Amino acid sequence: MDVGEYVLLFSKPFDVPVYVEHGIDMGIAGSDVVEERSCDLFIPLELPFGKCRLSVITPKHHIVPIEAMEGYRVGTKYPTLAKKFFSSRGVNVEIIKLNGSVELAPKAGITDVLVDIVDTGRTLAANDLVEIEKITDVSALLLVNRIAQKVKFDRINEIIHRIKQVIEG
Amino acid sequence: MTKDLFSQSARFAYVSKTLRRVFDLWNYSEIFLSTVESHDHSLRDGLKIVFDNQVYLVKPDITSQLLFNMKTSDKRRLFYISEVLRNSISGRWQAGVEFIGGDGIQTHVEVLSILLTVFDALGLDEVFVDIGSLRLWREAVKEIEEYSSVIFESLRRRNFGMIEELPIDHRKKEELWELFNFRGQTGPYKKLNQVVQALSDHRVFVDLGTVRFYPYYDDLVFEVYSPKLGRPIGGGGEYRVGPLQACGFALDLNALIQLVKPVFEDDRTELKGNPETLYKEARRLIMKGKGVKIDP
Repeated sequence: MDVGEYVLLFSKPFDVPVYVEHGIDMGIAGSDVVEERSCDLFIPLELPFGKCRLSVITPKHHIVPIEAMEGYRVGTKYPTLAKKFFSSRGVNVEIIKLNGSVELAPKAGITDVLVDIVDTGRTLAANDLVEIEKITDVSALLLVNRIAQKVKFDRINEIIHRIKQVIEG
Repeated sequence: MTKDLFSQSARFAYVSKTLRRVFDLWNYSEIFLSTVESHDHSLRDGLKIVFDNQVYLVKPDITSQLLFNMKTSDKRRLFYISEVLRNSISGRWQAGVEFIGGDGIQTHVEVLSILLTVFDALGLDEVFVDIGSLRLWREAVKEIEEYSSVIFESLRRRNFGMIEELPIDHRKKEELWELFNFRGQTGPYKKLNQVVQALSDHRVFVDLGTVRFYPYYDDLVFEVYSPKLGRPIGGGGEYRVGPLQACGFALDLNALIQLVKPVFEDDRTELKGNPETLYKEARRLIMKGKGVKIDP
């Protein structure tokens, strides 16, 4: 979509950091996706929307502490972050990468627990799931390509400044 | 698996042949390092493997591998062309130089001069080098050491908001803001100015927001980029080998081949005919240093 002198592209959230890393000047994506993809890019601003959390989720009838999850199957769209979290707690788990509707996996007996985004908790409640531990807070982030920051220094700094002014009211 | 192995190899071959020629003209010697090293915390990147109950690294970062293998502190001018793995099975090809044992800014000026001749030899017109300083930042955060990790993280992300939130003096924030955004050909650090002045090249800038976080870097660091490519082409910096000062760079050949338009000069003698006479003539020409093309 053309907006004045800019061209806006709409891609899948998981692809935004990759697009920005490989040459799109700026992008907006959640910190969950940015950390999962671990791309080489600049993150000049945290944006005041998309606030939620990445958490460990279990079926309501089977609540266990993280340390008791040795050997569990963990369904998630975030295999890197999930693996990092369980490793940091010294718990070996089997990570099963899922691409959507992860809340169905425990019901179908495919996974024991989930690592996923929690916002209001309504989806969890509707599927008899509970959030047992927050891994990290999530927020939308402004992303800037490393080279664009150098070669379009003034223009990008101006955009960042204007977004910041809007955020600060 | 490579998408187009043969055409990609032809471009890699063109670039690496040109680089080898440039590095050789600068009197740098090629170094051949092992594919596999015993795991050591001083080695960066590489692919971790376990063999016979021992942990090894396959194709680690070359500078760290070189430092790991240096047994004596002798003056050396080295170059390499090698694949490097970064915690993954898919590798990137790199070409780089290391000048160990130079004196003062001569070390940096020489290494950056090699870099500029590489651009010229490859016919790259829009490639730039931004030079920054780790020492300048370390000095700037000395009196607020407890916040240094936040400040370096803000530099890595290029997020000044993280510094703005710190409970530090307003004047200090102003000072850090100046460093954060400084870009030009003459900055507040004499050493960087001397390097840029000695090079006297419109492609080289002082950019104090440029930082590289390899633990062996000591002060001067630089990044190579082109507006035609969204990713850095390479980078380098200053480090120490025992008592010796050193500086080096690594270029990403996968990135370079996207920018370079190969010029294939074909002045080979075409040979056809009876194998008995054909190969005799081919041997004669090759011994005279002339290229041949058999049965084209």
